[in-house]
Amino acid sequence: MAIHKILFASLLIFSLIQSIHGAEKKERLFKDLEKGSLEVTTKPSREGPDVVLDAGKDKISITWKLSSTGSTKEAEFKTIKVKLCYAPPSQVDRPWRKTHDELFKDKTCPHKIVAKPYDKTTQSIDWTLERDIPTGTYFVRAYAVDASGHEVAYGQSTDDAKKLNLFNVQAISGRHASLDIASICFSVFSVVALVVFFVNEKRKAKIEQSK
Amino acid sequence: MAHNHSNEDGSIGTSLHGVTAREQVFSFSVQEDVPSSQAVRTNDPTAKFALPVDSEHRAKVFKPLSFAKPHMRAFHLGWISFFTCFISTFAAAPLVPVIRDNLDLTKTDIGNAGVASVSGAIFSRLAMGAVCDLLGARYGTAFSLMLTAPAVFSMSFVADAGSYLAVRFMIGFCLATFVSCQYWTSVMFTGKIIGLVNGCAGGWGDMGGGVTQLLMPMVFHVIKLTGATPFTAWRFAFFIPGILQIVMGILVLTLGQDLPDGNLSTLQKSGQVSKDKFSKVFWFAVKNYRTWILFMLYGFSMGVELTINNVISGYFYDRFNLTLHTAGIIAASFGMANFFARPFGGYASDVAARLFGMRGRLWILWILQTVGALFCIWLGRASSLPIAILAMMLFSMGTQAACGALFGVAPFVSRRSLGLISGLTGAGGNFGSGVTQLLFFSSSRFSTAEGLSLMGVMAVVCSLPVAFIHFPQWGSMFLRPSQDGEKSKEEHYYGAEWTEEEKSLGLHEGSIKFAENSRSERGRKAMLADIPTPETGSLAHV
Repeated sequence: MAIHKILFASLLIFSLIQSIHGAEKKERLFKDLEKGSLEVTTKPSREGPDVVLDAGKDKISITWKLSSTGSTKEAEFKTIKVKLCYAPPSQVDRPWRKTHDELFKDKTCPHKIVAKPYDKTTQSIDWTLERDIPTGTYFVRAYAVDASGHEVAYGQSTDDAKKLNLFNVQAISGRHASLDIASICFSVFSVVALVVFFVNEKRKAKIEQSK
Repeated sequence: MAHNHSNEDGSIGTSLHGVTAREQVFSFSVQEDVPSSQAVRTNDPTAKFALPVDSEHRAKVFKPLSFAKPHMRAFHLGWISFFTCFISTFAAAPLVPVIRDNLDLTKTDIGNAGVASVSGAIFSRLAMGAVCDLLGARYGTAFSLMLTAPAVFSMSFVADAGSYLAVRFMIGFCLATFVSCQYWTSVMFTGKIIGLVNGCAGGWGDMGGGVTQLLMPMVFHVIKLTGATPFTAWRFAFFIPGILQIVMGILVLTLGQDLPDGNLSTLQKSGQVSKDKFSKVFWFAVKNYRTWILFMLYGFSMGVELTINNVISGYFYDRFNLTLHTAGIIAASFGMANFFARPFGGYASDVAARLFGMRGRLWILWILQTVGALFCIWLGRASSLPIAILAMMLFSMGTQAACGALFGVAPFVSRRSLGLISGLTGAGGNFGSGVTQLLFFSSSRFSTAEGLSLMGVMAVVCSLPVAFIHFPQWGSMFLRPSQDGEKSKEEHYYGAEWTEEEKSLGLHEGSIKFAENSRSERGRKAMLADIPTPETGSLAHV
């Protein structure tokens, strides 16, 4: 009982710390960010209608630069964080990918691609789709982050309605031949062991009864 | 005809006496004849046991730290097997954030798989009573463990929502170990202490649902450290519960013993007590309306607990933006409370019975279950993490104690159909879990938080029927016992389950003995007014 009380108390303290930490982020909203300050373009290694890129194999070439219209907040740009984001078709019936206006709650762009310091030139990266990317429809967004780590502006490879320029990814299956074989071996062992015990005991019982 | 019930020792107020089908008056073979005839002969057989035993060689004391053969060993093998099955059944829950990405699951898919994971046990729990009767508790447990282990391993093959659901359904069958575990302890421990023993076995087994929330993320993390990608690592993580099941199955078969005097197959049958007809046992269980009220009540205490095991980790992960690991710790605390909460519920029921009789038991059951459900409503509405954790802990204690308290009432509902009623009640728990998951957690209609609150409301409403459980001899929550001379006797209630023909054959003697011993359910006032009969003797209690 005492151990349980300690565990409970430490949980409370731990979570208090976490919630205080979260409190400072509550204020910042997505709609306050400067829209379209960065121009982001993506070019998957394979293109075409109905093309599905393979996670772990295919690449995307991403370029970003300051947009032609310029930005009022350009002086604050310190780092550019490029992220892979879910398009609306991949968010249906999946509340853990929901778009929220509060930045700390927003789950649209969970996958980090790269973070580079801002310079006024055009930057690009050739990014291989990682093996933990789920199956879905995606676009790329680049956040301009200031010195204190807060987002101030962004740009994305698709339009506001998130309909154009999307690409599809197929995740790896995660299955492995060695895993399959090990699984079968253990399963067979389990059933066979049970049968062996059973038959053995029945035999012993018969012998005892016949004595 | 010798009826060797631990009733003779005075099973007054024992919460879980005969909670299974192991009692002589029912189905299939009975081995009790053998020990009894031996015990009459000499005192020696009892001397060879490490613990003091009664005439049936059931242990009279409960020593949780001992592993003495055969009683304490059976207890530990039983509850650890049940614990292992809980780990396997809910192993997927803390890993759902990874699995849903790998298999591209929607909320509906995840919810349906959760329903499937608890549905299989509805059937397997009903069947397990018969299996234990036929083959003994060891094989009942081993069958459950070792035949579902392949299902656990087959998570390696799962590629989409359909196969995921099928595998979780098949793994869920192993929750039948609840019945075999309680069966085994009921054979090994005497009626006076069976309440505490079964409460501990049930509660400690249920803890598996909590431990798995810690264990699986940890195993997953370790496997990732060796270099595996997440989508392979989670599949490999399932090997741990699978291997645990195989190990426990082998331990049960090698170290365990069906009965205090040996294994079922090697004990000679010196004579057969007449077997009760399954159709009669079934009919009396189904005909008794109290069975169905208990079915529903357990559905909203254990059922809610099973549902929470499936959804709580993901809830904390998504709503409060925690890591998989932290969400697992919090979710684990829910299940771990079972360690003392469930035995406490059984104990509280016994104390209430001592003071107020059966009416006290019913009130305690209603209070614990409703309070737990109210805290569930609060949990859904809590928007800050510390409040959510506090609400969750209070909720867990209330609901789990209610599970323990329910099995303080269940053994008195029927004597003839005792085992089947406990099997049906157990199945009711799984059924309730399936219903709540289907209604509140399988679609995007409600957020998980709303689902939790609505589930709490439903649990409050569905706990009200306990007021309708009325025993003519003891009363109910709001009604006094019957004043009628005939109906106010326990013998009348339990005797009513036998036809005149059966009574003339003396088949109902066990029920009559039980009725005499159950007079303690009248409460203290009534007991003081009564002159205790020779059989009941002292009012010694657990």
